[in-house]
Amino acid sequence: MKVGILMMDYSQTRRHSVMPDVVDILTDWGVTVDLIYPEQQLIDVGNIRVEHDLYVLKASSPLAMSMAGALHAINATVINPYPVAATLRDKIVSERVLRAAGVPTPETFVCDRAEHLAPLLAHGPLVIKPYRGSRGKGVQVIWDADELDEIASNDGPLFAQRYYKPEGLDRKIYCIGGQIFGVERVWPALTYEAKVGRPFTITPELRDITLRCARAFGVDLLGLDVILSDGKPYVVDVNSFPGFKGVPDAALRLADYIFSAAERPRKARPAHVHAAHAELRQ
Amino acid sequence: MKAAIIGSGRIGCGFAGERLAAAGYELVFIARNASMVAHLNRVKRYRVTLAQGRTRTERVVEGVRAVDIADRAAAVAALAEAAIIVTAVGANSLESIAPLVAEGLQARVTPVNLFTFENVADGGEVLRQAVARHLPQGFALGRFGFSGTLVSRAVTQQVGDTSCDEPLEFIGDPPADFVVDGRRLVEPVPAIPSMVVAENFAAWMQRKLFIFSAGHATCAYLGHLKGYRYIHSAIRDGEIRAAVLEAMREGQQGLAAVYGEEFAGGAAHLAEIVERFGNAAINDPVSRVARDPSRKLSSGDRLMGAARLAAKAGVHPRQLLLAAAAAYCFHDPADAHAAKLQEEIRVSGLNPTLQRVSGVKAGERLGRTLVGGWQRLAHPWHADSVLLSLTKIVWA
Repeated sequence: MKVGILMMDYSQTRRHSVMPDVVDILTDWGVTVDLIYPEQQLIDVGNIRVEHDLYVLKASSPLAMSMAGALHAINATVINPYPVAATLRDKIVSERVLRAAGVPTPETFVCDRAEHLAPLLAHGPLVIKPYRGSRGKGVQVIWDADELDEIASNDGPLFAQRYYKPEGLDRKIYCIGGQIFGVERVWPALTYEAKVGRPFTITPELRDITLRCARAFGVDLLGLDVILSDGKPYVVDVNSFPGFKGVPDAALRLADYIFSAAERPRKARPAHVHAAHAELRQ
Repeated sequence: MKAAIIGSGRIGCGFAGERLAAAGYELVFIARNASMVAHLNRVKRYRVTLAQGRTRTERVVEGVRAVDIADRAAAVAALAEAAIIVTAVGANSLESIAPLVAEGLQARVTPVNLFTFENVADGGEVLRQAVARHLPQGFALGRFGFSGTLVSRAVTQQVGDTSCDEPLEFIGDPPADFVVDGRRLVEPVPAIPSMVVAENFAAWMQRKLFIFSAGHATCAYLGHLKGYRYIHSAIRDGEIRAAVLEAMREGQQGLAAVYGEEFAGGAAHLAEIVERFGNAAINDPVSRVARDPSRKLSSGDRLMGAARLAAKAGVHPRQLLLAAAAAYCFHDPADAHAAKLQEEIRVSGLNPTLQRVSGVKAGERLGRTLVGGWQRLAHPWHADSVLLSLTKIVWA
């Protein structure tokens, strides 16, 4: 069994990534795991081939996304397929998908110039996010029209959501192969311990929301950021391959799921195809 | 020297066939699946891959042929001339092959031993009685040996397509030994590498059931609660690993009191078993090992049988009973037996179900612990809930 993981080099930035442990477990299980760092190589696009039973798109860099797209185009099995990952990278598109699926999200607006947001502030504050952002980078709460002058819009469209005062802790919901895990944590989480948070038993309502999201995007691996305001949950972010921090035995659960996902295409392939591949390799 | 093997599935090909071929037998499979029969006659070989982690050993079993079970004359002829007869058809199918076996034995001149490679206690006796019903009065059935077998290898996959000319591949783990019932055999007893001829076969059956199978079931039922798909994943979970080791230790203590500590084995035996559970190469799904919980919870079976024996030895079998409690919580929509058990609990309540299935009264000590475990583990909300911790009972 061969699994290719499209990675970024996290060694400097994320010492607590779950991925090294996932790779160790899969390797122990006899899986050949190839870590593919697109940024560290010259890629001959014409030579991109499907060489693995399964790919995992962990990186979100433009080059990794394009490589996942190229693999998708030649029928590779990707655990978080390129079209879904691309949709989730664009908050405008994913917001519309969520709304269509009946997932509760805050009122959402997009514009190209910050001053267009000014009238909205009469009805309450807004949360401004980079429309392709992740991990909370560049998120700011705007209360007053004067603050709009400081917002630069040269990174593309401005994505604004109505600010709802969150109650209690932030809630992260993770879906791994259809299993749903909840983690509560303070925001902003400044220490590793704060980021790990603590698991909580999700309510039927949160479970239903998570399953709606998963169905809307056609995946069973994702992460949601949920806030509670006035007793109502709102999904404020969706991630195609989150860090799963705080999920007990997250690495083992991910490895279990990846192993099972890699098994499916292998079982579907008849023995004579295995043999043909073996001959081609010789 | 020919061996007739009735059944050409994973155990028939991947274990019995491989072992008999290694002993120098020429294999004739008697099979129901016409496509399989045609394939084996065309390709004349298959592959057996023995996998442990990244290590894979491949054996090619050659010179095989097959007879369609519907071709009665050819099947009887194969049984009549075989030096050993093996069944690997599934315990529930022994009855259906009995008329053929009876006819085959009537066509024989010499005695022969029949070995049932079935997942059932004393399959040899089950087959003997079934065959006897199809023989004329006065037939000397005593000339033939009927033995069950205890197989240590798990053969979990058959890969390939019988319509193609590539040999099929059977994937299993490396253990090669199997135990047969020495008191049920007739001369000449075949010499097969790794065959253990046991004089106390019942003790060996209990040893396998109350240690290996009890540990396997513990791993599966607790693994299911914690949301793992494979046995090799579940056993890697620290809580489950500890529970599996303790459940097997309880089984060992019960056996040691009856048969002695040497026979029951020590910590090294348990470590070997745990290593086998961790072998991802055989891809054993939790749902397969947990299937049909009522059978696995019956009074003499792996969990409750081991628990009773341990209790008799003065050991209160907490982990075996926790595993049994988890088995009473097992719900898999794809498993009709499991659904039936859950329905019985829903309609009749746990205590009457416990008494009917496991022969345990809720008031006795074993029953109290089991019911307590069930009350902690039962989670009525939805079937795909995941238990995050066995000790704190936190659900995802």
